[in-house]
Amino acid sequence: MTLNDVFARLQATPISEAVAESAWIFPTVESLHVAAITLVVGSILVVDLRLVGLSSATRPSSEVEARFLKITWAAFAAAALTGATLFLAKPIAYAQNPFFLGKLALLLLAAGNMAAFHVIVQPRLGLRAGRAAARVCGFLSLVIWVGVVALGRWTGFTL
Amino acid sequence: MLNAFAAWLSRTPLTAFLGNAAWAVPAIQTLHILCVAVVFGGAVFINLRILGLFDTGQSVQAVLRRFLPPLVGGVAVLALTGALLIASEPNRALFRTLFWAKMGLVVIALAASLGEGRLAFRGAQDAPESPPHFILKALAVTSLGLWIAVIFAGRWIGYVSGWPGSPT
Repeated sequence: MTLNDVFARLQATPISEAVAESAWIFPTVESLHVAAITLVVGSILVVDLRLVGLSSATRPSSEVEARFLKITWAAFAAAALTGATLFLAKPIAYAQNPFFLGKLALLLLAAGNMAAFHVIVQPRLGLRAGRAAARVCGFLSLVIWVGVVALGRWTGFTL
Repeated sequence: MLNAFAAWLSRTPLTAFLGNAAWAVPAIQTLHILCVAVVFGGAVFINLRILGLFDTGQSVQAVLRRFLPPLVGGVAVLALTGALLIASEPNRALFRTLFWAKMGLVVIALAASLGEGRLAFRGAQDAPESPPHFILKALAVTSLGLWIAVIFAGRWIGYVSGWPGSPT
């Protein structure tokens, strides 16, 4: 069974048909998705700008992270759940859309960047090179999340 | 009058440009959503702090000083990107009740957020460390609800139909 068969089966499920056919489910879940993703980006923006050194300079970046990443994760869970629901409306079409696939790839890249920051960079913030690397991670994160929003919008236009 | 305005707008080079460049509308929408992130993020941080649910190590005033200016700046850029999106398709949003409802909600939500700032700083002169007044807390719940309503209205504009007899 190929991945396309899986998506074809998924598309035939009652929940998938409900999302695709209902006049209100898709726009409502889409609104929640926008609220969630703007909160992901808004909170991560605070953390990244602190990492880059452009704002909240009076607070340690670890404290800014501890506060704001809680909101990021909660909002990300909501964005993933609502995103998965939107995917159910047209699994085959989404799975073939290059912008949607690009968005998923950027999300993986964001996760990799975050992991690299926590495992490699954060323990070395006492070093000059560590602080420089933290700035790079913060900047990369900003670029990646702008890309995630952009590819999400392009997905909507090309589906 | 709205008909005449939309007709005039659709003959401008701006509408022609936005219609011809396939990348323009999604790019402007991306900027629009990024600004929503700044505004809605700021509103969530401010209101959750006032309600005592977030960043309680910082004073309400400090959180307002940090996030109210970008919120206001974000609304200004949203007005600009929103105007460009209208110019890209003049016969769409202007003739839908929900668009005007959204504009009304934005004005009230912005007034609520600015009102929170005034109230918090006025109270701070009397007693800097006192917990937020219940009026400020009520305003925080209202403002949060209003900004969420703005997001919902924005998304739903694309799904509702226009007024009967409006230009297409």
